[in-house]
Amino acid sequence: MANRGLGQFYPASSPLHALDPRAKIVATAVLVLGLFLVDSIAGFLVVGAALAALVAISGIPPGAFLRILRPVAFIVALTVMFQVLFSREGATLVEWGPLEVHSGGLRLGSFLALRILLLVSAAGLLTATTAPVALADGLEHLLSPLKRLRFPAHEVAMMMTIALRFIPTLGEEAEKITRAQAARGADFSEGGLLRRVRALIPVLVPLTVGAFRRADELADAMESRGYRGGEGRTRYRELRFRARDALALALTGLILLSGILA
Amino acid sequence: MRLELRDVFHVYAPGTPFEVEALRGVSVAVEPGEVLGIVGGTGSGKSTLVQHMNLLLTPASGEVLVDGVDARTVERGELRRRVGLVFQFPEAALFAPTVEEDVAFAPRRLGLDGGEVRTRVRDSLEALGAGHLAGRSPFALSGGEKRRVAVAGVLAMGPEVLVLDEPTAGLDPATRGDLLALILGLKAAGISVVLVSHDLDEVAEVADRVCAIERGVVRAVGTPAEVFYGAAEEDLAPATVQTVVALGEAQRGVGRPVRFRETLAALEALAEG
Ligand SMILES: Nc1ncnc2c1ncn2[C@@H]1O[C@H](COP(=O)(O)OP(=O)(O)OP(=O)(O)O)[C@@H](O)[C@H]1O
Ligand SMILES: [Mg+2]
Repeated sequence: MANRGLGQFYPASSPLHALDPRAKIVATAVLVLGLFLVDSIAGFLVVGAALAALVAISGIPPGAFLRILRPVAFIVALTVMFQVLFSREGATLVEWGPLEVHSGGLRLGSFLALRILLLVSAAGLLTATTAPVALADGLEHLLSPLKRLRFPAHEVAMMMTIALRFIPTLGEEAEKITRAQAARGADFSEGGLLRRVRALIPVLVPLTVGAFRRADELADAMESRGYRGGEGRTRYRELRFRARDALALALTGLILLSGILA
Repeated sequence: MRLELRDVFHVYAPGTPFEVEALRGVSVAVEPGEVLGIVGGTGSGKSTLVQHMNLLLTPASGEVLVDGVDARTVERGELRRRVGLVFQFPEAALFAPTVEEDVAFAPRRLGLDGGEVRTRVRDSLEALGAGHLAGRSPFALSGGEKRRVAVAGVLAMGPEVLVLDEPTAGLDPATRGDLLALILGLKAAGISVVLVSHDLDEVAEVADRVCAIERGVVRAVGTPAEVFYGAAEEDLAPATVQTVVALGEAQRGVGRPVRFRETLAALEALAEG
């Protein structure tokens, strides 16, 4: 029931955890965008192997990491199925009644699946090795040049920190309410789609009410402590971009380039 | 009905760095018609323990028995009805537009007909002194009123065992008094009650037996006199004595008299004559 996989920080002391969050954010962004240029099995293998190596370095047990991928497995399976069944490109491989599988469809489908899986892995590795606060700090730094264009970099980063901070809380709350309703006989697994959605109402209503109450409390607490937005704020944690961060970025570029050229 | 937990272990988030062994071999029974108090410090595993009683949580090992048979063989909805569980801060799960509809949720899920549902809603709201709230929105009630409604929502299932997880936490004296009276009323009607509480006085007041739990292990089971008196005599693990006593004091906070020792004295007097 509880989805503790996606986006959760996994505390450990590894070289990846120690990197500057900015380096990790940029590297992930570059990798994610670059993945769309990779278009050969060999290329995906190169990137996949590199990511596997990074997971090994990160100190996260492979089993726990694979759990990150579980929530997207369904979406991946679905997109692949559509690609494979509805694309009429290339030679016909299988014909079965109205269903036809063509080589082009198979190729597109598997590439899409690999792309999504690698993309989610890269993003998952970022959030698993970077504490939420560090992530928000890094993002604020990266966005700060936009401040001159009146882009509210601090506020966006603050919102992200708060959201990240409250996602686990909200998840716990949802789990608790779900169990409380189950104790009153609610059943979330029976019936068709409509019935299941309706069964969620007793969970979603109190969850929303609670979230608004929490937001109110937080706003009061921030105001009473004199929070006044980003103007003239000094920061508690300073980020430092070191040689190893530059190295990490260079390495990412190299992996990607070999993936694209392979 | 007799409910028994036998050598129950429970692990949260197994196989991750967040792994917590919340119960470590807990054995305890709820005898038919008794009030069983469960006491222990914060994080000792009380809530985890009671959620095993209707299998909202399943044991990593060990078993839960309903009248001697494995609870997993009892149909799930049936088990949840027979063992009514009121969560800690149950008002967090109120959701319907009116109090009436909220309390009707569980009886409706049981598939009862409209008349029976209405009777049950009325009766359980009455039992909690909340009959006059029926038409109100549960979100616009006071804390104590919400708690009453939430308890009524479980009582309306007609449970054979009612499990209350810290039902009096953060309540005004009037609501707290009413809840304790309800517990004794249920007992008189032959319904077993499990009362989880930080308040040793109230446990001593209504419980037939007490189970003291500490870091997932049962430290003592017996009558309040045995457990609290024994604890005071330091016959039991000193850590439990500390938990039990500290708990009583911490719960009272600043400015309120510590009645635990008085309770002990009274229990002692009782035991002697
Ligand atoms: N959903 C959960 N995930 C992980 N750990 C949990 C979860 N729920 C409880 N725990 C942990 O299990 C242990 C026992 O928790 P439990 O809630 O049963 O204690 P409790 O005795 O009810 O405490 P309290 O008096 O504060 O309500 C604690 O260490 C707690 O941190
Ligand atoms: Mg608890």
